[in-house]
Amino acid sequence: MNENRRQILEMLAAGKITADEAERLIAALEPESTPSAREFDGMVGRLRGASVKSRAKYLRVLVEADEDMTGLKGPTTVNVRVPTQLLRAGVRLAALIPKQAHDQLDEALSKHGVPITLSQIKPENLEELIEHLEDLTVDVEGKGGNATKVRVFCE
Amino acid sequence: MTPNLAMIQVSNPSRRGFRLWIPLFLLWIPAILLSPLILLALLVLLAACIAGQVSFFGALRTFWDILCSLPGTHVHVRADQSTVLVRIL
Repeated sequence: MNENRRQILEMLAAGKITADEAERLIAALEPESTPSAREFDGMVGRLRGASVKSRAKYLRVLVEADEDMTGLKGPTTVNVRVPTQLLRAGVRLAALIPKQAHDQLDEALSKHGVPITLSQIKPENLEELIEHLEDLTVDVEGKGGNATKVRVFCE
Repeated sequence: MTPNLAMIQVSNPSRRGFRLWIPLFLLWIPAILLSPLILLALLVLLAACIAGQVSFFGALRTFWDILCSLPGTHVHVRADQSTVLVRIL
């Protein structure tokens, strides 16, 4: 096994690249499309950069509401920063819930208008969610044109 | 890494606020002193896990993961001119 192929497989094993990305890199190593060593290093670097970028460290929730909206003195702000590691651990915690409790929870959630099946929330789903949460902004309009701004993103 | 410090700050213009630094790393000392009680609690947890058909080691690992992922948590709420800030370092 040559050095480049070994490097790709190590990155795949470490979870730094996906199977598709590894396949593309290995295909790029085939003799008919042999890239130069510099081109190969560039591709590896780009893929590494992409995977590092998607590994957000924190989930941030910002809420801003003016006093007309809340009825309180002065603006109301909430700024919460939660490590994504904590979210992952939380998902693993959900996996510990016994099946019969899962069914009861799912039933209670759907009764209250939250049709979520807890057993379907897995760490890999969370990774996908975090990737897509890179910059999501939700603006909620209050009554009389007052605005409450809610921003959820990963950083 | 487990959390080392927690900071709680409460401020209000009408009352005297406070800022509290809690050295969480010092909790290791009572934890070591109370280790027999912790062992007993682990046995109770083991029995509960067996009764609930939950992996004991999985539960311990998840608890440890949650504890270790707490550093970096930051909650800042400002309402009615009062501010509450909680940080775990």
